[in-house]
Formats: sequence, structure tokens, C-alpha cells
Amino acid sequence: MRHLLLKLEPVIWLLFGQGIMIGTMLLTGWLLVVGIAVPLGIVDADALNYQRAHSLGSNIIGRLVLAALIALPMWKGAHHCRHLSIDHGGGDRDHIVAPILYAIATIGSIAAILAVVRL
Amino acid sequence: MAGPAHPRAMEPPKPGRTRTAPPQTPGSWPSHPRMRVYTLFGLTGILYLLVGFTSLRLVWALGEGPQRFHEVLASFGHPIYVAFHALTLAAVVFVGVRFLSLFPKAQPANIGPLKPPPRPIIHAMLYVVWITLTVVFAAILAGAIF
Repeated sequence: MRHLLLKLEPVIWLLFGQGIMIGTMLLTGWLLVVGIAVPLGIVDADALNYQRAHSLGSNIIGRLVLAALIALPMWKGAHHCRHLSIDHGGGDRDHIVAPILYAIATIGSIAAILAVVRL
Repeated sequence: MAGPAHPRAMEPPKPGRTRTAPPQTPGSWPSHPRMRVYTLFGLTGILYLLVGFTSLRLVWALGEGPQRFHEVLASFGHPIYVAFHALTLAAVVFVGVRFLSLFPKAQPANIGPLKPPPRPIIHAMLYVVWITLTVVFAAILAGAIF
């Protein structure tokens, strides 16, 4: 497993790096509006009514943005959690922790792709 | 708390030619302020992982129809969700500021025949992109444009 993870390291690093870069850039606006402003009534909830949200999300750019917004932060999260575990004495259990975290990110990414495909 | 770091965690399958000393955990680990900030940076990973799933929940509901979508969107008004999203936003800003300060330092001296712009220019350009993207994306989601 360790050998496989080392082989996959460039791919994982790519997704991790994009998770930090693109994920952070997209999440800032998303969290501001969808996570805070709409729930608190700062922004009219009608801005995210179903018809408008669906038309924004279901075009090709919308689908790509949503897939990136969901999947990339998961890879950033999984990789950082793995290294946090290693840094805090979890090197011995890395062969269990790493596959679990990357499996979560993989499942989440597949679900993200399915979610935008079915829009 | 000095001690050997885990030497095999990132070990390549075949030993390299160059002999290196085994990795050593710094004596100040983990109480040194730099280490605390580093750990905090790592901890943001938990929030990124979780927010991916909360976003997935909403987008999945968008594919299920108006009633389910509005149910999930309404659930985001729960104080726990709002607090989680506010905490995650703080973490995202923290990661962004830290990453954008590291990014210019990681550039190679040359990119082919070209030299990258000076570090302060790269730094400023990244902030312009981040702020512009955030404003435009927030404006679209809030219904100010499109």
C-alpha cells in the first residue's frame, strides 16, 4: 500500500495543490453567500431559488465549478489530515490512515461528479 | 520533546544514493509558535474535508428537485451550520493568506528562457485574482449579476 501511495503521490499532490489554490478561491465566495449571507438573511434567499440555482449549476461552466468546489477541497483536507497524523506520531498507522482518507476523498469526488452530471 | 521523527513514513521504495541523517523532530515540537501555526494549518484540512460534503449535500439536493433543494438550503440556517461555515470561512482565509505568501517563494529562478516576475508582483497578482474571483462568484450567487 505504501508503495502504491508513493506512486500516486504526484497525482495526490496535484489534487492537494489545486485544493488549496482553486478550492480556497472558490470557497471564499461560496461560504460567504451560501453558508452565511443567505442563511442569516443578509442576502435575499430568492437569489438562490431553485430555478435560478439550477440554471446556474446545470450549464457546463456551472458543473465544472461545482465539481471543483466540492472535490478539490476534499483532497486538500485528506492530504493535510494525513500529514497532521504523521506529524503527531501517527507514522506507524499511516498505512491505515492514508488509504482511509484518500478513499473518503475519492468517494466524495465520484459523488461530486455524479451530482453535477445529474443536474 | 525532541525525538526521532517517523523515518519510514515517506520513505522511497529503494534507498537513494545519497546518505542522509534520519529525520529528527525539533526539540520545540509542538509547543513552538511556528509549530502551532503549522499544526493549525494542518487542522484546516478537517474543515475542508467536511465542507466538501456539506456542499455536496446541497448540490445533490439540487438534482433531486425544488422541494429537497429548499429543505437542504433551509437546514443551512441552523446555528450549528452557520457557525461551521463561519469557522470554515476563517480557515479558508487563513489558508489563502498563508498559501499566497508561500507561493511566490516556491517559484523557480527561471521558467525556460524567462524569469518569473518579482515576488511582490506575483504576490499582488494572486491577491487580485483571489479577490476578483471571490467578488464575482459571490455576486453571481447573490443574484447581483446574471
